[in-house]
Amino acid sequence: MNKELEHSFVTNLEQNQNIVHKVCRIYTNDADSHKDLFQEITIQLWKAYPKFRGDAKFSTWMYRVSLNTAITLYRKSKRSIKTSDFDSMDFKIKAEEYDDEVEQQLKLMYAAVKQLNDIEKALVFLYLEDKSYREIAETMGISEVNARVKMNRVKTKLKKILNP
Amino acid sequence: MDELELLKKDWKKQEEGLPKLSYDEIYRMILKKSSSIVKWIFVISILEFILWASIDVIARLSGKYQEAETLGMENFFMISTIISYGVLVYFIVRFYLNYRKIKVTDSAKVLMQNILNTRKTVKYYVWINLTVIGLLIISTTLYMLFFSNELADSLDGKEVPVGLIIVAAIVMAIIFVGFLALIYRLIYGILTRRLKQNYKELQKLEV
Repeated sequence: MNKELEHSFVTNLEQNQNIVHKVCRIYTNDADSHKDLFQEITIQLWKAYPKFRGDAKFSTWMYRVSLNTAITLYRKSKRSIKTSDFDSMDFKIKAEEYDDEVEQQLKLMYAAVKQLNDIEKALVFLYLEDKSYREIAETMGISEVNARVKMNRVKTKLKKILNP
Repeated sequence: MDELELLKKDWKKQEEGLPKLSYDEIYRMILKKSSSIVKWIFVISILEFILWASIDVIARLSGKYQEAETLGMENFFMISTIISYGVLVYFIVRFYLNYRKIKVTDSAKVLMQNILNTRKTVKYYVWINLTVIGLLIISTTLYMLFFSNELADSLDGKEVPVGLIIVAAIVMAIIFVGFLALIYRLIYGILTRRLKQNYKELQKLEV
């Protein structure tokens, strides 16, 4: 039974690992921390897995556990986030697909997102993942109205970071 | 165009560049131990319970209580023993029940609330202990001052104003409790700072 559970969990996670990697990208700044956070999320997912009923989609359930680990359970290393760190990060912007101006703008956008606080990052992440406000509200434990209000504030904050 | 929309478009393309872990790599990860904040809070809290309970036991074994008994305080110690163990059991049960409530599958807010509640339970317990120790230092001094000759004997008949002794006892109590409180704040400050910040950030939204 345990082996079966292990197998179904690892298979599920292997197929859906992108979600966890993306959370790690938003919340960490280097490959080591990325690995650390991925490891912790995996453990938390595995610990919660026996209670996963399958009434929700595995991926939906993963969003919640991954974000909770990143903003609540994970003890971040002391490294502070500097804008200059961004260059060493592995967001690959494909030069052939964008003109210079757009490419530059994207780079600045990613750097701006990195400057947001943990909660704001979670909202942006869910927004980028195309989640509805209802889902965002449920994941964070706030009302839908508040999720909208907060999202608008985050957008304003991002604009301010980009155009000081 | 909205900057965030531009980002959203690019975000999808980022998927190609994400690391890919193999089945075996993921499997190895589930065998490792968690180092989450909940685990640390749990371990430190248990250590706290053990620490405060063992101070009591050590005081008993080392004969400090007999000393107090000869001072005529045995009834007082009897009652305080019953109360202190009652309080300890109450807090351990509360702590355990709170700890059981922590579920990573709750919403972020509920999860944070539950972790902070577990923390709070132990915090109250430690504060009760610190207060008791402070009061004990002061009350023992007062008792010896007014109801026994212990203190007078140890002073060798030197004249020391009563007020000075009381003030000294209070200062000693404050220093001792303050010192422990400082260590305490340091340990948990480091551990829960980010959690508290994030919780406040979510709470701000509700106003």
